[in-house]
Amino acid sequence: MAQLTAPQQKGLGPGFWPLTIVLTILNAIVSYFIVVLPIDQYLPEAAAPAGDIDALFRFMSVIGNAIFVYVVGYLLYFCWVWRRRASDGPDAIGIQVHDNPTLELWWTIVPSILVIMIAIFSVRIWINLQNSLGDVLTMESIGHQFKYEFRYPRLKQSVYNDMHIPVGTPITLHVTSADVIHSFWVPEVRLKYDMVPGLVQTLRFTPERIGKYRIICTEFCGTNHGNMVANLYIDSQQDFGRWLAAQFKAQGQGSGPLNLNAGQAAAGQQLFGEKCSTCHSVGPFTQKIVGPGLGHLTTDPNYPNLVTGKPVNAENIAWILVNGYQGPDNSQGKNGPSIGVMPNRQANALSNQDIANLTAYLLSLK
Amino acid sequence: MAVSALNTSHEAVAARYQSVDPAYADQRDQRLFGFVLFLISDVVLFSAFIFAYLYLRNSVPNWPPINKDGVQLPRFDVAFAAINSCVLFGSGATMHFAMESWKHLNKAAFNLWMLATIVLGIAFLGGQAYEYHSVQVTWAGSTMGATFFTLTGMHGFHVFIGVIYLIVLYIQANRGVYTGSKYFGLTAGTLYWHFVDVIWVALFYLFYLM
Amino acid sequence: MAVAAAHGGAIGHHDHIHPEPEGFVAKYIFSLDAKVIGIQYMIAGLLFFIISGLLAEVVRIQLLTPNGAIVSNDTYNGVYSLHASGMVWMVIIPMMTGGFGNYIMPLMIGARDVAFPWLNLLSFWMFPVAGVILFSSFLIGAPDAGWTEYPPISVQGPPGTTMWCIAIFLIGISSTLTGINFMVTIFKMRAPGMTFTRMPLFVWAQLATAMLNMIATTALAGALLALFLERVFDVPFYDPARGGSPLLWQHMFWFYSHPAVYIMILPAFGIVSEVFPTFARKPIFGYKMIAFSSIAIALLGFMVWAHHMFTSGLAPWLQLPFMILTMVIAVPTGIKIFSWLATLWGGKIEFHPAMLFALGFIVVFTFGGITGIFLSAVPVDLHEHGTYFVVAHIHYVLFGGSIFGAFAGIYYWWPKMTGRMLNRSLGVWHFWLTFISFNVTFLPMHWLGLLGMPRRVAQYRPEFQFWNDVCSIASFVLAASTLILLYNLATSLVRGKRAPANPWNARTLEWTISSPPPYYNFKTIPAVLKNPYNFGEPLPYIGLDPQPDAPDDRPPAAPGSALPAHA
Repeated sequence: MAQLTAPQQKGLGPGFWPLTIVLTILNAIVSYFIVVLPIDQYLPEAAAPAGDIDALFRFMSVIGNAIFVYVVGYLLYFCWVWRRRASDGPDAIGIQVHDNPTLELWWTIVPSILVIMIAIFSVRIWINLQNSLGDVLTMESIGHQFKYEFRYPRLKQSVYNDMHIPVGTPITLHVTSADVIHSFWVPEVRLKYDMVPGLVQTLRFTPERIGKYRIICTEFCGTNHGNMVANLYIDSQQDFGRWLAAQFKAQGQGSGPLNLNAGQAAAGQQLFGEKCSTCHSVGPFTQKIVGPGLGHLTTDPNYPNLVTGKPVNAENIAWILVNGYQGPDNSQGKNGPSIGVMPNRQANALSNQDIANLTAYLLSLK
Repeated sequence: MAVSALNTSHEAVAARYQSVDPAYADQRDQRLFGFVLFLISDVVLFSAFIFAYLYLRNSVPNWPPINKDGVQLPRFDVAFAAINSCVLFGSGATMHFAMESWKHLNKAAFNLWMLATIVLGIAFLGGQAYEYHSVQVTWAGSTMGATFFTLTGMHGFHVFIGVIYLIVLYIQANRGVYTGSKYFGLTAGTLYWHFVDVIWVALFYLFYLM
Repeated sequence: MAVAAAHGGAIGHHDHIHPEPEGFVAKYIFSLDAKVIGIQYMIAGLLFFIISGLLAEVVRIQLLTPNGAIVSNDTYNGVYSLHASGMVWMVIIPMMTGGFGNYIMPLMIGARDVAFPWLNLLSFWMFPVAGVILFSSFLIGAPDAGWTEYPPISVQGPPGTTMWCIAIFLIGISSTLTGINFMVTIFKMRAPGMTFTRMPLFVWAQLATAMLNMIATTALAGALLALFLERVFDVPFYDPARGGSPLLWQHMFWFYSHPAVYIMILPAFGIVSEVFPTFARKPIFGYKMIAFSSIAIALLGFMVWAHHMFTSGLAPWLQLPFMILTMVIAVPTGIKIFSWLATLWGGKIEFHPAMLFALGFIVVFTFGGITGIFLSAVPVDLHEHGTYFVVAHIHYVLFGGSIFGAFAGIYYWWPKMTGRMLNRSLGVWHFWLTFISFNVTFLPMHWLGLLGMPRRVAQYRPEFQFWNDVCSIASFVLAASTLILLYNLATSLVRGKRAPANPWNARTLEWTISSPPPYYNFKTIPAVLKNPYNFGEPLPYIGLDPQPDAPDDRPPAAPGSALPAHA
């Protein structure tokens, strides 16, 4: 039986390689813009994992864009070059090729490599998320139909609608729900977890930029799901301290006066383990985690003063615990480099008794 | 064909089946495949609830769970359920013998074994009714009750449908719908009944022994 | 020929032709003919498509303003819940499997019908009943928690949620039975000589889909039954106060619903795999890889369900395997896309509306697939979950994927099913209007989501209004473009040109019989020598009997050519 003749194969087609070069250049240009795109201007990166997550998003955008540009580019090109012409007869057929094992192997391998790259990057960022700092300020949020409740340590009554947190303080936020499933999402932090009744989930992040942001519910929870929002205020340490103190005051919860003689070192040691050990070891000064080691505060000749430059005694230690510190390191008697941020007592949720206990403990270390 | 209709040895049975017209062979093949696929999808249904049971059981620290009065619910009593299980497994054996009798063209034996299967099946359902009456958990009272009654209830419903199906098969067999070489309905019934048995093995283990 | 002789002259049980059914009811209402059932599925599916689409327009009208109050919030929630439930269960799944599958698949394998016609009839009639139950839930308070109906809110939801449980349970039984039917048909009723590697790719797609339908759907039935029992009899499965778990629902629901999305897209892949070779006049490139990747996608599809649950309360370590496996699915999907592109290369491409929709499918589905990879990465999903980014992704793959595929299938097989041609230029208009308005409707939703707009909301923050208005206005154009299609279908039925047996000069078996085919499909079942994509060679079938009632309006073929001339 007669066979129809297919057109002669002339390489990959007119302009195939020029097109490939054009698409590659286009991809390079778009990739450049993706990498430099100031995401931060459209959606602030207000807290620690946001930068990591945006980096992963950029990486995936570069790869995703490349795939899309190549696919659509070749598609349009093939539609143009290999279109049926008016001069083609009714029996005109294309080039009767069924497969090309080499090509198919490559277009299995290359996407697999891309997927592996994306997987590796994603896993790395995922690991970073698991290792996020938290634990300095631990608080809770409970979802209701249709508002957010916030609970701070030692604050007897909850706060609604406005969540304040201090900048620079690693936050552990436990979330759950009092009724149906809600969700806690701050776009500027790039984190969300569902608030599930009967279950507690934990967000860990460190606020980095002072401002007012949004807490949004993204899990359908009923009639007013669309209106379930709250405000997240990332305050300076001082503002947060003031706000929290105002909450305590409004609830009639003052704390007793500070009595440094009544501190208990054992209680201080336990508190140190809970609150301070995220950032401070009990080794020598140089054994820094985030802040300096505090184990030889009273005995290290290389560091005769506290970082404030003041002598090592109960009052000066307590001053740092009360006020926090973020100035230069003056522990060697001269002006040193900046030592980072030590949160103040409100950020650390320390009562007067806590401060006394901690001071007693630190002074007991040799 | 030289195979005598009276010859009931295994070889004769097999040869007889081969001589059946190819159109029937195709039809039986398709129906068998379809029926097995149906049983697989039914297994998925039970598996979903078994998953639910294991998930809920694992998500509380105590099992049996503590009810809202602070009292731990009692475990299910194994003895009676074990006896009832033997009733059901026995009906699986009698079903097997019924099937063998049919293949060997022994109508009287088939009828006997088939009736025995039906009676044992009904007895099992009766036993379950008694079990439901005597257990200390309620359907809506706890996840233990929820999973127990729903899973064994689904199983009981399958047994109930199975008993009806067996009765229909019995009547059909006695009306001459099936012959010595064309009896797909009976094959399907046997498969279904064994399936119901296998599910019960799993449920008995999960609720009474585990 | 040797093949026919090996079967002793008779091809199989279904080789004989039953007498024609008589009477209107037996022919058109309770027909056992898979072709009639297929058309019934298409009609009901199109009706539910219009209803579900109108519900979507209510959503878009409400979202024109930040504090929309076109309907009450409760009604609004019911509107989008039924829009989604309707589209998934009463439109895409029935049309793709029950509609196209029933009509075309048996023809493609050279069968007279499916394996179990009575089961097919039962499967079909459950469908409009389920649809009516679903949409009448508006009368008593529509289900309001989306198509996913998470407890505890779904346990407390309006009375219509119970009707939702019943409706979806019913359509689930229908789907499962159809899956069983199709699996037996494809395994057991292929024409002699049609090995698995000579099967058209649409049939491979239906096979993979049938596997999913058959196995996954009963898991959903379990979840629905438990929800029903909890709502009606207070039986605690999901109530945390009594030891239940809201997460249990999510596991059971998504174990089905992720394979469900593959149920919805695999037939579209199959349609594209048929349209491309026909309108490029060359074989599908990489037939084996496309066939096997369909099965791979079906199998992998069972292992990734918890990527819908990254924020839900899974143990963190569980996120990793689900993330990785979801990314892996990109590889077989990518292989298909590249194979389709390579099918275009070297072709003689004809831009028939079916081909246009298939081409549009590639563009839009690739985009949707890429956004799926974004969502598969846990750190990015923690930001994007529950926002309009997900809504955008869903619509790119479901509308741009499944519906575009369905449109391509309609333009391709309408002449075969009805014996009438559609108006080609109306089809081209339909395509361009749909393609452009679709992208304008759904593209902005990506950044709406990224910037902070959650999904399932009746009101939103004012800063999102501009893009919501863009989406809404484009959606009105999208809805209007569907009218072009409906007009085309209607006028074709009334005064469309009569369709020849093979208007596209295609190669699969359905084109060797008249349009529409006689009720018995093939006078004698042909034997198959090769796969059907070799356009340079004669048809690979032997024993084809010219149908006595096929209109012979084809010009005489060139001498020696076994091909019918191009119509």
